[in-house]
Amino acid sequence: MECVVQGIIETQHVEALEILLQGLCGVQRERLRVHELCLKSGPSLGVVSSEVRLLCDLDQPEPTWTVKHVGGAMRGPGADQISVMVRTMVESKVSKNALRMFNALGYKLDHELLKVGFAFHFQRTANISVSVSSVNKMLKVHAIDEAVPVTPGMQIVDVTAPATPANYSEVSAAVSSLCEFLAPLVHLSKPFNSTGVVPTAAAAAASLMSDGGVTATFFFTFIRNNRIHPYTQQQIETELCQRTSIRGYLV
Amino acid sequence: MPVKWVLHWQPNQGSTVSSQILNEATQCVESINGVKEGRWKATLNYYKPLLRDQTNQAEFPRDFLGISLADQPNKYYFIIRSQRIVVEADSSIQLIMERLQSYKSKVALYFEGFQYQLGDFRLRVGKVVPTHSENVRGIVMEVEYLPISSMEKSRKVMEEFLEIWHEALSKRSLPGKFVNIDLNFGEFGLGDNYTPQHTAVRYALVMAHMIATVQAVRG
Repeated sequence: MECVVQGIIETQHVEALEILLQGLCGVQRERLRVHELCLKSGPSLGVVSSEVRLLCDLDQPEPTWTVKHVGGAMRGPGADQISVMVRTMVESKVSKNALRMFNALGYKLDHELLKVGFAFHFQRTANISVSVSSVNKMLKVHAIDEAVPVTPGMQIVDVTAPATPANYSEVSAAVSSLCEFLAPLVHLSKPFNSTGVVPTAAAAAASLMSDGGVTATFFFTFIRNNRIHPYTQQQIETELCQRTSIRGYLV
Repeated sequence: MPVKWVLHWQPNQGSTVSSQILNEATQCVESINGVKEGRWKATLNYYKPLLRDQTNQAEFPRDFLGISLADQPNKYYFIIRSQRIVVEADSSIQLIMERLQSYKSKVALYFEGFQYQLGDFRLRVGKVVPTHSENVRGIVMEVEYLPISSMEKSRKVMEEFLEIWHEALSKRSLPGKFVNIDLNFGEFGLGDNYTPQHTAVRYALVMAHMIATVQAVRG
């Protein structure tokens, strides 16, 4: 099971998002270069048609493979009240022959993508992974060196966290909390429920980059009267001097 | 990982395999000073495709096996012998296969018995039984030479051990013998350095031989 949200961001604001994530997560980013193959069962195979994903991590010295099955999302009034998608998911590390095996079993390549970017993996109540990547398609089968962006100038932000039936509420809350901090730059929502880019992203990015953007800066948000206000470092210091009743979230 | 050979009991024509033979083999190990270490167990599943149209059955492999090995409790191995495919995965792959609902385990077998230490060798002798039955369908014996992981380098010492083993067992006048099947691991993309994937392929081959033996007896 996993909790997941997605959003899109213009490539020009990715550097600002990276700075923000660096400050929020407190860990080093990892490079992301994953070849994702989506396989579907042939017409007569299975009780119902099925889909499985093979992910090849190309950033390792020796490529490593993972098989992933993504199931249906939680539905109903409970699910509607949660701002993240909760869905079944099972994955398994697998050796390099997996594609040949699934082909032999009757699974055919439906589509494949190359995701290139970076990711942060950290612990905040839950194990959360945030990846920011350009999604590229291959013009010829498996030709990853000739991949071209599906949406030039735009990148996808994925936030995922593993969960169980016992703890998905806490995990959802942790993911939602993170989403609030990222809101000035990217709006994150349930997959297939995108609301597009954030109109204030340019201003937020400029604010983050204004100190040079070379070292990680802390991007403070304050909750005052239950509203979230993004502030620059200078404004925060001013506020702290003037208002002791404000809770500051140093993440 | 140490090199391992997997032998299976081949009964003489007209005779069958039984628990008595397993007992004799176990006693033979103990008679050559094998020290009992405990029990071992492996599980093998034969998978069949679930098809909405049975006329297409020939398109799908008939020898798709999954096996969990005693040495690797967190791993699962798939073999399609006819296409020389072997895959190692985490145990969670079994849950993925269940969720896909495209293949189902139709026959499940246990390999279970006792494990022995004998100098630099580790031996496992066990029966092959269906999961919900006590009918002995076969007997297997794993012979592991602990100091060496190269199959080529270990060949001579393994052959010498088997000569000693056959000689010890022959004194019991059993109606059959343990057989080792040589195979070309290179066809499965496996090298000289021994791995659990080699063991998985060996078990697949043992099963194919055992089935052929049963069918020959019935024929």
